[in-house]
Amino acid sequence: MRLYTPDSLLYPITVTKLLRRPGDDIEQNTPLFTYHYQSVVSVWDKDQREDVEQTATLYADFESEFEGSVLSLDIQRGQVLTARTYVGEIDEPCKHEVQYGGICANCGKDMTTVQYNSTARGTDRATVNTVHGHTQLLVSQEQASRADEEAKRRLLDARKLSLVVDLDQTIIHATVDPTVAEWQRDPSNPNYDAVKDVEAFQLVDDGPGARGCWYYIKLRPGLEDFLETISQFYELHIYTMGTRAYAQNIAKIIDPQHKIFGERILSRDESGSMTAKNLKRLFPVDTKMVVIIDDRGDVWHWSPNLLKVSPYDFFVGIGDINSSFLPKRPELEAKPVKSSKTEQQPAKEVSGDAPKAEPSGAEGKAANGEVSAVDRMVSMAGKQDEGSIKEKAEEQDEQLNAQLQDRPLLQKQKILDAAEEEAKTSPAVEAAGDLLAENGEDGQDSSSAADQHPSKYRHNLLQDDDTELHYLGQSLRNIHTAYFDEYQRKTAGAKGGRIADLRPGPAKKRSLDEFDHIPDAAVIVASMKQRVLAGVHLVFSGVVPLGVDIQTHDTAIWAKSFGASISENITKRTTHVIASPERRTAKVRQAAKKKGRIAIVSQAWLYACFTQWRRVDEEPYRIHSVAPANGGHVEDAEELARFMPSEERADSSPTEEEVPDYWGDINDELADFLGSEADDDDDEDGGSGGGGGESDGESDGGGAGAGSRLQKRKREAAARTSSLTQMAKAPSSHASTPAAATTTAADGDVDDGVDEAATAAEAAEEEEDDSLEAMLAAEMERQSDVE
Amino acid sequence: MFFVKSLEHRIDLHPSFFNSEATRYIEQKLFQDVEGTNTGTMMIIAVIGIDEISEPKVAPGTGFAQFNVAYRAVVWRPFRGEVVDGEVSSVVNNGFFVDVGGLSVFVSKAMIPPSMKYNAEDSTPNFSDAEGMTVQRNSQVRLRIKGIRGELGQMFAIGSIREDYLGTLMQ
Repeated sequence: MRLYTPDSLLYPITVTKLLRRPGDDIEQNTPLFTYHYQSVVSVWDKDQREDVEQTATLYADFESEFEGSVLSLDIQRGQVLTARTYVGEIDEPCKHEVQYGGICANCGKDMTTVQYNSTARGTDRATVNTVHGHTQLLVSQEQASRADEEAKRRLLDARKLSLVVDLDQTIIHATVDPTVAEWQRDPSNPNYDAVKDVEAFQLVDDGPGARGCWYYIKLRPGLEDFLETISQFYELHIYTMGTRAYAQNIAKIIDPQHKIFGERILSRDESGSMTAKNLKRLFPVDTKMVVIIDDRGDVWHWSPNLLKVSPYDFFVGIGDINSSFLPKRPELEAKPVKSSKTEQQPAKEVSGDAPKAEPSGAEGKAANGEVSAVDRMVSMAGKQDEGSIKEKAEEQDEQLNAQLQDRPLLQKQKILDAAEEEAKTSPAVEAAGDLLAENGEDGQDSSSAADQHPSKYRHNLLQDDDTELHYLGQSLRNIHTAYFDEYQRKTAGAKGGRIADLRPGPAKKRSLDEFDHIPDAAVIVASMKQRVLAGVHLVFSGVVPLGVDIQTHDTAIWAKSFGASISENITKRTTHVIASPERRTAKVRQAAKKKGRIAIVSQAWLYACFTQWRRVDEEPYRIHSVAPANGGHVEDAEELARFMPSEERADSSPTEEEVPDYWGDINDELADFLGSEADDDDDEDGGSGGGGGESDGESDGGGAGAGSRLQKRKREAAARTSSLTQMAKAPSSHASTPAAATTTAADGDVDDGVDEAATAAEAAEEEEDDSLEAMLAAEMERQSDVE
Repeated sequence: MFFVKSLEHRIDLHPSFFNSEATRYIEQKLFQDVEGTNTGTMMIIAVIGIDEISEPKVAPGTGFAQFNVAYRAVVWRPFRGEVVDGEVSSVVNNGFFVDVGGLSVFVSKAMIPPSMKYNAEDSTPNFSDAEGMTVQRNSQVRLRIKGIRGELGQMFAIGSIREDYLGTLMQ
């Protein structure tokens, strides 16, 4: 260890005598040399009878802060030191490179003690944490690189890479909802099949009230095979935000033989950070041979070694039970997975039913989904002090408690059951029938579909249809192959180079060189991923909440890591628009105009690409494919279609061109008929109709505008008061429109309901959206028909 | 090493417990408070007898009564140089951890005989030598304590098996 004079000495100092020579063994605090220095001291002056300041020469020893044998001393007698100076080199018997709980593990010395002349803390010599399960064991940087080198050699010999595996929502899904146990015991439950292989364990010290809380663990489908095969290519590590006890229990379930993970488990107790995961914690020296799988990219700060997997969301709406320690997850994701629920598909086509079925999934998301960007930043910044950790632990307790009490799974299943009941019982069917009738043939199909599987309609909340691990296993194997191909190539090249150089070098040196040629897994992963969506230019529409910067959104970052580029608006280069199936946005319409060039697909397509690591065929994911170019009209047409009255009316109703004439006539006739009283009305009519004058032509024109609008109103009104109008219409087949009927009424029987007719017409012309008056009109019509 | 040691402990009793059962409360509270604790130099294993419960004093301003309880307890205090037995709790590349009662002792590579080598390939990581001595998780190990450091509530120790008659115990 190199020894320096400390800054705190009163320079300049003059060395007066060397006390030790090179080769001497010294203890800590052994004097190495003596020196003298000048200082101002107060001395009692007898004559003046008070203290006076005097400059004095004082002598002192310089003591070594290290023990060991002196290798060299660079100080000569008589030398004047004016600042911090190198004194010599001390060879220490123990460098204290491994420390456990503040004691040197090699010599047993307490490293936390600080001497009066220490310049550095003993604990600073070992700061790197390399061991999974213990935070108290620290090693020096050098020691860490040695260990790392050893590990690398071992891995290369075994042709393996390191794989860091996250637990929650990556390979398992956990919940504390006791509903699971009930479902497990009840074979008649629709969810029985899905939950029958759910494992459970109890943590006594953990959880709310420390009274022991049962955890229910669902393994991701195919996990056993996945771990089995992958452990041949990778050395697996667990890195979770759960507690140590939790992690160990999970490990017991997924790896009962202790073969796959062994002792390589890192939990939040040892992680060192509550909000982020850091590869440096496990691989302090370098991460060239490491691959990560996790469902959260943000906690890894989107490390290039990361393979982000889509979260496993088996217990719907539960989320990650250990996520209170992580920054809040921005919304979406997993949502598209729900669309794969095949059994709900027919129900969705009945437009009125879809919103009923959906909330079950959307609800949970909305709860933890509505997180503004600012919130996220704040939570990412994450205070790390004790208080906040405690707070978060409490928060988690609360969440678990809430889960225990609220039983979200049971509630959701109830909602599903209720929806299903509703669909079964007669009034609902009637309502659906009405809707179907309006939808025409299209509806007919779905109605038959719905009729066909009423028994199958019994929903099960939990779906066990995840295929992520299958593809993930493939990708990981591909990475492994690519990595070692690259390694082979590089080492072959390097060896040739060295032979050409004729530089044998010492064995140690050669091994170091060898490690220089190790390819970086991050680079390989990145290049493999980049190929997947290369040349794809994405525009998101209606899937990212407003106010969130699209470029920093999770999905966007994820897509970018796969080589896609993302822009805000549709440009010439855009190839795909990622939209939500529920909303036809302006961008979708714009994209639809350029049909053929831009594919409008749901998010599911993107996730399929991410999962399978290839550009999946867009066809099954296309949405809004029937959208006509002019989207604006579509909405109106759709809206109108909903209010369109039954067929018989459609048959007999006149074309729109005919209507204005009628209405012109009506107005005129009314005006004539009502005389001066009607004048006011007419004025109003003119004003609202846009004409304004009393002349026939103008009033005709005004009537035309008002008429068509009125027509629409009437139709809506008719739809609303369907029972009434339909009753009225059956006998009045001769009357082509309600309007015409009104005319007849006004014409035929003056004394009966003229005033009513006037008021009705007036009200309608004023475009009052008032069904009461519409009903009045209908009523009047009926009366006239009866007579 | 185990000792029987006379100790004192102060107990504050809430006024609601001032009744004929007070002594029982105090005893209970003493057991709760001290048994299994780590003072930084020793562990209190069990209270074996209460010698004296002092006359209570009412703490000014609170109404709590303060009792000084003198008791005898079995304590365990590890010393540097002491030879102890323990069970290996985990093996890592630069040593292994041994649980000696409530004390976690780390035995570093430098304190392991050079003939013992670290193996990570096997199903459980271990240190083993040619003669069949293997240190792995759950093996019983005899070691000498080389250093101890205590903080309030916890102790750390360094151990060595690099000596004759130290190492795994034959079952």
